[in-house]
Amino acid sequence: MDSALTLDHFLILSGLLFVIGLAGVLVRRNLIIIFMCLELMLSAANLTLVAFSRFNVQEGQPNYEGHVLLFFIITVAAAEVAVGLAIIVALFRSRETTDVGKLNTMRN
Amino acid sequence: MPVYFLEIIVVALGLLMLMVDAFAKIEDKRSIAWIGMVGLLIVFGLLFAVNWPESTDGAFWQFYSANDQISLFYKGIAVITTIIVLIMAVDFRHIVVAQTADPEKGAHPQSGLGEFFALPVFACAGLMLMASANNLVSIFVSLETVTITFYILVTYLRRNVGSLEAGVKYLILGALSTGFLVYGFAWLFGITGSMQLSEIASSLANPEFNSAAALFAFALILVALAFKVGGAPFHFWIPDVYQGAPTPITAFLSVGSKAAGFIIFLRLIGPFLASDVLAEKVCLVLAIIAGITLIMGNLAAMPQKNFKRLLAYSSVAHAGFLLVALASAPTKSSAGSLSPAVVVTFYLGAYLLMTLLAFLVVTTVRNSIAGEEIDSYKGLAKRSPFLAFTLIIAMASLAGIPLTAGFYGKLFVFKIAADQGNWTLLIIGLIGAASGFYYYLKIAVPVFFATASDKDSGEEISSIPVSAPARAAMVVLTVAIIAAGVNPNLIIMLFS
Repeated sequence: MDSALTLDHFLILSGLLFVIGLAGVLVRRNLIIIFMCLELMLSAANLTLVAFSRFNVQEGQPNYEGHVLLFFIITVAAAEVAVGLAIIVALFRSRETTDVGKLNTMRN
Repeated sequence: MPVYFLEIIVVALGLLMLMVDAFAKIEDKRSIAWIGMVGLLIVFGLLFAVNWPESTDGAFWQFYSANDQISLFYKGIAVITTIIVLIMAVDFRHIVVAQTADPEKGAHPQSGLGEFFALPVFACAGLMLMASANNLVSIFVSLETVTITFYILVTYLRRNVGSLEAGVKYLILGALSTGFLVYGFAWLFGITGSMQLSEIASSLANPEFNSAAALFAFALILVALAFKVGGAPFHFWIPDVYQGAPTPITAFLSVGSKAAGFIIFLRLIGPFLASDVLAEKVCLVLAIIAGITLIMGNLAAMPQKNFKRLLAYSSVAHAGFLLVALASAPTKSSAGSLSPAVVVTFYLGAYLLMTLLAFLVVTTVRNSIAGEEIDSYKGLAKRSPFLAFTLIIAMASLAGIPLTAGFYGKLFVFKIAADQGNWTLLIIGLIGAASGFYYYLKIAVPVFFATASDKDSGEEISSIPVSAPARAAMVVLTVAIIAAGVNPNLIIMLFS
C-alpha cells in the first residue's frame, strides 16, 4: 500500500502548531488570544503523543501509554481554562483591560 | 500503613475542611485552619510509621516510586510548609477578608476565608504525590494539581490590583511552561517508547541512540523546569508574582513549589545522566544556567527596597546554588563523596527552615505596619526584640553565616562543585555568597540602628503582637536552624 502519511508529517504539523502557539504567546497583547495560543501548544503536544503512539507499534498494537498522558492533558487543560478565564474576568472587572502591556503597576 | 495512604488522608482532610466551611454554622472560620493544622500534624507523625510494600507488582506502582527515603523527606517538607503557611494564613485573615468578603446582606462576614485555608492542603497533597512520582504521567498530573491551586491562591485577593496582576502573570507563564513540559514529554515518550522513568533511562543509555532528538526533548523539559524553579533566564516572573501574591502564599511558592520543582528536576535528569553521550552536554547546559542564575539573582537582589521582592530575588539566587549542585553530577571519571541528590535535599531542608522563618516575621510585622518596604522595619528591635532576633537568625542563615543551617547548605554545594572541578561555577558561587552578606544583612541596619522612630509620636514605638502559633513556629524554626548549623547530620540522617 502506498502510505503517504508518515510519522514525519505528523511531527512537522505538530511542530508548526507549537511554534505558532509560542509565537502568539510572545507577540500578541490580548490575554484571551494569549490563552488560546497556550491551548494550541498543548494541542501540539497531544498530536505528537498520538502520532508517536500510532507509529510505535509493539506486537501489532499501537503503544497506548501515550493516549493515557493525552487524556490527562485534555483534563488538565480544561481545569486550567476554567481557572484561567475566571482570573481574566476578575482582572477585567478591576482594571477594565485585557492588555498584558498594561500590567505593570508593580515595577517601580 | 502503606505509604500512599498519606496522600489520600491529605486530600480527605482538604475535602473535610471544605465541607465544614460549606455546611457547619461556625462564627469564626479560624477553626477550619485549626482542623487543617491538626490533621497535617497527624500526617507528619504518620510519615515515620509508613511501611514499604513487599512487592511492587501491579499498575499502581508504575506511577508511584517505592522504598524511597528521599521522597519521604520531601513529603515532610510539603507537610511542614503547609502547616506553617496555615499559621501565617490565620494571622493574615484580616487582609484576606477585607479583599474578598461578600458585601451582600446575609453573607457570612468571613466568607471566602474557608477556601483560603483549604486550598493549601490540596496543594500539599499534590506536592506529596510529586515527591513519589516516577512516571511522566504522574509527574505531569501532580505538578498541575499544585500549579492550578497556586493560580487560585496567588489571585486570591480579588479586589487587590497587585494580587490580580501577579495571578495573571503566574497563569500565563505557568501555562507556557506546562506547554513546554508536555511537548518535551511527548518527544521523550516518542523516542523511548515508554512513560516509566526507569525504562526511559535504559533506553537512553543505549549508545546507538538518536542523541539529537533526546537533546531536543531535554531542552524543552529544561525550559519548563527552569520556569518552575526560577532559573535564569526564565526567572523574570518571580519578583512580580512574589510581591503581588498574599504573603503566606509567597512563602508557599518559594518553599513548596521550589522543593517540588527540584525533586522533579532530580528525577528527570537522572535518565539523561545515565547516558554517556548525553551526560556531558546536559551538565554543561545546567552549569551555564546555574552560572547565569547566580549572577542575575544576586545582582538584582542588591538594590531592592521591598522586603518581599528582596526575598524573591534571594529565592532566585538560592535556585542558582541548587543548580550548581545539579550541574556537578559525578561522572565516571570523577567519583565524589557527595551525590547531587544529597546536596540538593540538604540545601532544600535548610532553605525551608530559614525562608519560612523570614516569611513568618514578614507576615507578623505586616499586621502592625502597613507596608513591606525595608524602611518600614525601622526600630523593630525596640518594638519587638523577639521578632528582630528571629529575623536576624533567618537572614544570617540565608546569607550562610557559620553555625546556621544555611552555612552547611552552601558548603556542601561548594564541595561538590570542587570535587567535580567546576572551578568557574565555584568562583561565581563564592562571589554570589559574598554579595549575599551585603543584601541580607543590610536589613539589620534599620532593625537595630535606625533613629527614625525617635522623631515620631509615641504610638510608633508600641510593641508588635505575635500570635501564639506563630511564636511557637518561630521558636521551633530558630532552634532547628541553629541545631542543623552545629550538626548538619541532624538533617542528613532524616533522608539517608
